Amino acid sequence: MNRFVIANPRRCIGCYTCMAACASQHLAAGLQGAPRLIVTHTRAGTMPIQCRHCEDAPCASVCPVGAITLIGQAVQLNEGVCIGCKLCALACPFGAVTPYGAPPPSHPVRVGQHAFTDTPLWPGSLFRPEAGAEAAHPILAWSVGRKMVAIKCDLCAFSETGPECVRVCPTKALSVVDEPALARSGQLKRLAAVAALTQTEGGNGQGR
Amino acid sequence: MTNAIPEISTDSDVIFVIGSNTAECHPLVARHVVEAQARGAKLIVADPRLTEMANKADVWLRVPIGYNVPLVNALLHVIIAEKLYDATFVQEHVDGFEAVARSVEDYTPAHVAQLTGLPAGDIVAAARLYAQAKAAVILYCMGVTQFTLGTGNVVSLANLAVIAGQIGRPGAGVCPLRGQNNVQGACDMGALPNVFPGYLPVTDDQHRAHFEAAWNAPLSSRIGLKLSEVAEATHAGRVRAAYIFGENPVMSDPDVDHFVEALEGLDLLVVQDIFLTETARLAHIVLPAAGWGEKEGTFVNTERRVQRVRQAVDPPGQARPDWQIFAELARRMGYAGMEYQQPRDIWDEVRRLVPAKFGGITYERLEAERGLSWPCPVADHPGTPILHLGGRFLTPSGRANLRPVLFDPAGVPAEKVRQFPTSIAGAVAERAETEYPFILTTGRRGYHYHTGTMTRKAPAIQQVGPEQLVELNSEDAAALGVLDGDFVRVSTRRGVIAAKAWVTERVPAKTVFTTFHFWEANANELTNAAARDPISGIPEFKISAARVEKITSAEARALLEAKRQKYRVALEDEVAAEARPERVA
Repeated sequence: MNRFVIANPRRCIGCYTCMAACASQHLAAGLQGAPRLIVTHTRAGTMPIQCRHCEDAPCASVCPVGAITLIGQAVQLNEGVCIGCKLCALACPFGAVTPYGAPPPSHPVRVGQHAFTDTPLWPGSLFRPEAGAEAAHPILAWSVGRKMVAIKCDLCAFSETGPECVRVCPTKALSVVDEPALARSGQLKRLAAVAALTQTEGGNGQGR
Repeated sequence: MTNAIPEISTDSDVIFVIGSNTAECHPLVARHVVEAQARGAKLIVADPRLTEMANKADVWLRVPIGYNVPLVNALLHVIIAEKLYDATFVQEHVDGFEAVARSVEDYTPAHVAQLTGLPAGDIVAAARLYAQAKAAVILYCMGVTQFTLGTGNVVSLANLAVIAGQIGRPGAGVCPLRGQNNVQGACDMGALPNVFPGYLPVTDDQHRAHFEAAWNAPLSSRIGLKLSEVAEATHAGRVRAAYIFGENPVMSDPDVDHFVEALEGLDLLVVQDIFLTETARLAHIVLPAAGWGEKEGTFVNTERRVQRVRQAVDPPGQARPDWQIFAELARRMGYAGMEYQQPRDIWDEVRRLVPAKFGGITYERLEAERGLSWPCPVADHPGTPILHLGGRFLTPSGRANLRPVLFDPAGVPAEKVRQFPTSIAGAVAERAETEYPFILTTGRRGYHYHTGTMTRKAPAIQQVGPEQLVELNSEDAAALGVLDGDFVRVSTRRGVIAAKAWVTERVPAKTVFTTFHFWEANANELTNAAARDPISGIPEFKISAARVEKITSAEARALLEAKRQKYRVALEDEVAAEARPERVA
């Protein structure tokens, strides 16, 4: 089973630490320096949304160059192979794949002066392109001199300490779900279901 | 704060957050609130905005901006009418209860529901939750203080805590969340116009003589200007020189144009900072200071805890710690009393001069005990994480001294004020009207710190919070024809800014919210410097009558160019290029 990271909206306080850490960690690893998860605010709750590492991943199915593959119980995207066609971003049901392109060295963007630039830093976020560009779908936005590639959560596969977002979250809202964790969660719910039906304490907890 | 932060997660079973966007502005305090909720504690939030705290609340009171006092008075009304208060505590420890009880008689839940649009049932539920808790804590911040009735708002919360007996126990108290690492420390050291270190009044002959003897210099008995009075005094010619450090008031003070004009009229402006801030760009002399990781010393946090800060790296170039710059200036001006060798010498002087609060807080203990909360008068005193234990208050009588607080948006009638001679009464300075039909309120985002001097230079933060956004309710957006991400122009009687709209339910209808993090669209070009609390002098940052219009991106760009000139943005790049010629290629 593929592993994935998911947030508990009851614990998330929308502090954006996960996003900042994600961008820094990937930049330090020589990858695109942008967040792979996006804090999303709704009336029902706030949480970062990121890749679910689907077993039958639509992004991998549509990729024309095989840049997205299953490696080590995760869906991995090779930024070096990606041609920036953006089909994966359209196919993803969670909005968890986004195109991103660092500006080339000949077009440096001074930190602190991003406002009013022509393209959003990460399309699909709340920082949408300005009105003139709205005719195009945000995923199709582009600018001269940037090669965009798709980026998505890679579970920080390059890091020994695991996903950086999980490590830095101040309220422990994020966690990695793997096969044992999912099995444990299912078993606890089955025990609770038995307890509810029999009005007992759920046996000795050893039942299968 | 009357209590220590961890008590929120370990002891409080009701948390009442009012006028505080805790999750974004104090995330490490919010973490304790989340832990408390996981333990089963209940959360009441009073806020006009749908903040993360409001989203997590068991009871969310969407109080209209400025209406804190009617809400708190209604809570008191319910608590007194239903006899949910601690009568023994009130009898043994409180003066002024009768006047407060009489002043809240009119504030029935039904009446306040009509006044504020809050459901009366929610007001009653909140009052019962708060009063019946084993330990309830109030967390408040600028959404309480930044009003012309700011002091009254704070006093009304004190009334609530004292009458309900929710003070002086673990997890029960009143906790103003201070916004900066050492703003508590600055106040403790007398960086206020009316007190010496330790809050000893400059008008008291005995205290003044104490400090004059210690410092071997005559000291003024006159109360100085409050920060919010400086611009006016400068315009009037009463202030001719300013020395500004660790502060970027061009961005953070209300009514930027008025403030900049004042600075430009000075004979001398000295700014000491770690970067060439918007304020420093106007200075005659800039003194480069060391940053927090580049110096030794102590900070005092919001829970009155004195903590050691240790130098991690050397300051760059000619930058020096503030204390060295001040001491050197003093020496060159002919004063011999500041020949310190290290920050510890200064702290030991503080301990010697204000022993009642700091006497027992030695560097050795700070190292061993990871910080101590004052008062801590002697070496074997454990420090005071909880104030007013057992209902002992810091008044001459040792009893809490309550004062009624009255509010009417248009001003409390004089006859009403006469009925309550000890009361604090107030209104709001600006209300929505035909020409300015919106209320603009201001604050911060989680990912930027204050005027962005530091955070706007951090690439990772730039990824998360690249630009200014104006929160606009979807109802208003539809009426204005504004889509999420369109540019809007926000104007008030003071100025005009342009930024992208964030169409959201976070703000109620006819209300817009934005921040002072971005020079491109600084909310403080719009805020009102003339409306101030008559007691504390705090400006009414939370209310300005405003107009909101949709504009094109070309119009927004034109306005951006004007801001670039106004804040002399190019100057920082020029100076940086001169300082590091090898980096220009």
